[in-house]
Amino acid sequence: MKKMNLWRKIVIATLSACIMIPSVSVAAESTVPYDSYNYDYWEDIVFTPAPYIPERSVSGTILGVGTFVNPQDLCVSPEGNVYIADTGNNRIVEVDNSLGNVIRVIDSFDNNGTTEKFSSPYGVCVSENGQLYIADSENHRVVVLEESDLSFIKFIENPTSDVLEDNFVFTPLKVTVDYADRVYCIAKGMFEGIMVFEGEGQFTGFFGTIQVNITAWEKLWRRLSTKAQRAKQLLFIPTEFTGIDIDSDGFVYASNIDSTGVQAVRRLNPKGEDVIKKGENANVGGDLVIANASSNYGGISTIVDVVYRDKGIYSLLDSKRGRIFTYDHEGNLLYIFGGLGVQAGTFTTPVAIEALDDKIVVLDANRREMLVFRETQYGNLINEAVGLRYDGDETLAVDMWKQVLMLDENNELANVGIGKAYLTSGDNVNAMKYLKLGMSRQYYSVAYRRYRNEFLKKYLGFILTGVVAVIVAIVLVRKHIKKKKGIYEEEGGAFDV
Amino acid sequence: MRKYFSKAKIQYLFYTMTHPMDGFYEIRHRERGSVPIAVISVILFSFVFSMNKMLASFIVNNTDPRTVDSLDNLSGVLLLYLLFCVGNWSITCLMNGEGRLKDIATMLGYSLVPMTISYVIATIVSQVIAQNEEGFYSIIITIGTIWTVLLALSGIMVIHNYSLAKTLLTVILTVVAMLIIVFIVMMLSDLVNQVYGFIYSIYTELLFRN
Repeated sequence: MKKMNLWRKIVIATLSACIMIPSVSVAAESTVPYDSYNYDYWEDIVFTPAPYIPERSVSGTILGVGTFVNPQDLCVSPEGNVYIADTGNNRIVEVDNSLGNVIRVIDSFDNNGTTEKFSSPYGVCVSENGQLYIADSENHRVVVLEESDLSFIKFIENPTSDVLEDNFVFTPLKVTVDYADRVYCIAKGMFEGIMVFEGEGQFTGFFGTIQVNITAWEKLWRRLSTKAQRAKQLLFIPTEFTGIDIDSDGFVYASNIDSTGVQAVRRLNPKGEDVIKKGENANVGGDLVIANASSNYGGISTIVDVVYRDKGIYSLLDSKRGRIFTYDHEGNLLYIFGGLGVQAGTFTTPVAIEALDDKIVVLDANRREMLVFRETQYGNLINEAVGLRYDGDETLAVDMWKQVLMLDENNELANVGIGKAYLTSGDNVNAMKYLKLGMSRQYYSVAYRRYRNEFLKKYLGFILTGVVAVIVAIVLVRKHIKKKKGIYEEEGGAFDV
Repeated sequence: MRKYFSKAKIQYLFYTMTHPMDGFYEIRHRERGSVPIAVISVILFSFVFSMNKMLASFIVNNTDPRTVDSLDNLSGVLLLYLLFCVGNWSITCLMNGEGRLKDIATMLGYSLVPMTISYVIATIVSQVIAQNEEGFYSIIITIGTIWTVLLALSGIMVIHNYSLAKTLLTVILTVVAMLIIVFIVMMLSDLVNQVYGFIYSIYTELLFRN
C-alpha cells in the first residue's frame, strides 16, 4: 500500500509538472503521428528518426478569409508569398511568408473594362518575371495577370494545332512557367503530354510524352482476340501527369502515376527528354514495399504532386498513404515521412506540396487547410549534407554525415558520404569500412584496389622471399626424406610402404 | 568402417576426378567406390556452397547474408541428389542400364568434387579481387561446373555402358522422371492429408456426439 502511494505521488507530481510547464506548441519528435522510414539496399524498411515534424496547420478560418472549399494548388512566389488556389470558392488567396496574414484575395480581374471572375481555378503559378498564371479550369483558359497590380496581360485559351482533335476542350489543371516565360500546362484528359505555350500563348507542342510499354504477352493476347473483344479491352494509354514544378535551370519536374511503381516523376530537359537519375534501387516511384493492391491502402503510391526544393532535392507527395518521399539529384531516397489520419499533422486528401524556406507545406483538399512541417535536426543534417555534395564539397559534409550516423546508425547515404571522404583523404581502410556499410560496391572497389596496391608495394618483397623460402624448404625436406628412405631400404626396409 | 573409408578409397575420389572413364569403370566393376564418401562429398558441396554465399567478398557477392540458411541449402541439395539418383535409376532400369543405385549414388557424389573445390578456390580468390576482375571469380566457378557436368555425363555413360547419345537422352528422361516423382509425392502427401482430415473430422464428430 505504501509503495502504491509512492507511485501515485510520482505520477501526480509528473502530471502536475507537465501541466505547469507552458505547453509547447510543437509535438515532441518522438510523438509524431506518422512513421518515418527509408529503404535500405535490400529494399527492406528501415525506420528512421523523423526528418520533418508537423508544426501547425493553417486553414481559411484561421486566416480570416472563410473556409477554403476544395483547394487544389499551392505556389510560392519568388518573393516568398504563398498563393493558394481555393478552387471551390473560385478565388486565389495570397498569404505572406509566415502563413499568418492574408495579403489579398483575388476573385476577379479587370479585362479591359469588364470585370471577369474565375471558375474553379485549379492551378496557380508565379513566374520569375512576376506574372501570375492561373489555370482557370472551368472557363477553359489560363489567365495571366501582373502580380504586382493584378492588371490583365493575356489569356491562354483555345489552343489550335494539327495534333489536337477538333472537338478538344482545353481544361487546364496545373500550370508552371520557366525563366523564358514558356508555359507548361497539364490539361484534363490530355494523355499526349504536358502542353507547352510560348510567346503570346500559342500552343507549340507536347512535352515529355510518356511512352506506353506493351509487354509481349499483351501483344500476343491482342493479336489473338477478335475485333469485338479488342474493343472491350482496356486501351493502352499513357498515364496523365499529376503535378508539375520547375527548377531554376528550367528543368521541369512532372509527377505521374506509374502503374509499375518504378518512376512516378520525370525530370524533363528543355527538349522534353527525361533526364532523371534513379539511384541505387533504380526507383523513383515512392514505396518499394507495398501491400496487396486490392485493399484501399495497398498498391503502388499515387504521386499527386512534386516540388523541387533546392540543391537537386525534390519531394513527391503520395495521396494513397499520405507520405512524402524525398530524393536527391542522384535519385537516392533521403527520407520518407507523413501519413493519413485525422490527427493534427496527418492528411486525408493531400493534393499539393510546396517548399517554403526550410519548411514543407502540404495542401489538403478535404481538411481544407495547409499543413506545415518543420525540419528536425535529422532532416536538416541530411538536407545540408546532400546540398554540399550537390555543390561538390563532399569533404565538408563529413561532419554532418557523422552526426546523421549518431541519430541513425544504419543510414547508407551517411556511410557512403563518410567513406567517400576517407577515400579522397587516402585512408583506404576506413573508406572500405564505411563504403561497405553503405553498400556502395563501386567506391568500395576503388578503395580496395588502392589498399591492395599499397599492400603489395609494401610487402611484395617479403611475400616473394617467403614463397621462395617455402619452395626451397620443401625441396630440401623431400631430398632428406628420400635419402632416409634409401638408407632404410638399404638396411633391409624397416618401413615397408 | 574400413570398408568405406580406407585411405585408398579416399584417394580414389581424386583419381576418378582426373580419370573418369577408368575411375567409374572400376567403381562399377571392382567396388573401388564408396557411397558414404559420395554422400559426404555432397554434404561438403552444400556446405561450401553456403559458405560461398556467406563469405565471398562484397565485390562479387550480392546475397543478403541474412537470407543464407545452410541447413536449407543442405536439405535442398540432398533432396535433389536423392531425386536424381532415384530418377536416373528408374529410367536406366528401363533402358538396359547396367548401373545399380549404389553406383549412381557414388558416381554423382564423386562428380561433385571439382565443383566443391572450385567454390573453395573462388571464395578465396574473391577476397583479393576488385571490380572489373570478377571474371576470374566466375571463370573458376564455370570451370568447376563444366568439369562436374562432364564427370557426371561420362559417369552415367560408363556405369550403364551407354553411348553418348543414349546418355544425353537418359539425362533428359531423368529430369522428366524427377518431375514425375515430385508430382506423385505431392499428390500422395495431399491424399494422405485428406485421409487424415477425414479421420480427424470423424474423431471430432465422435467427441461432440457425447
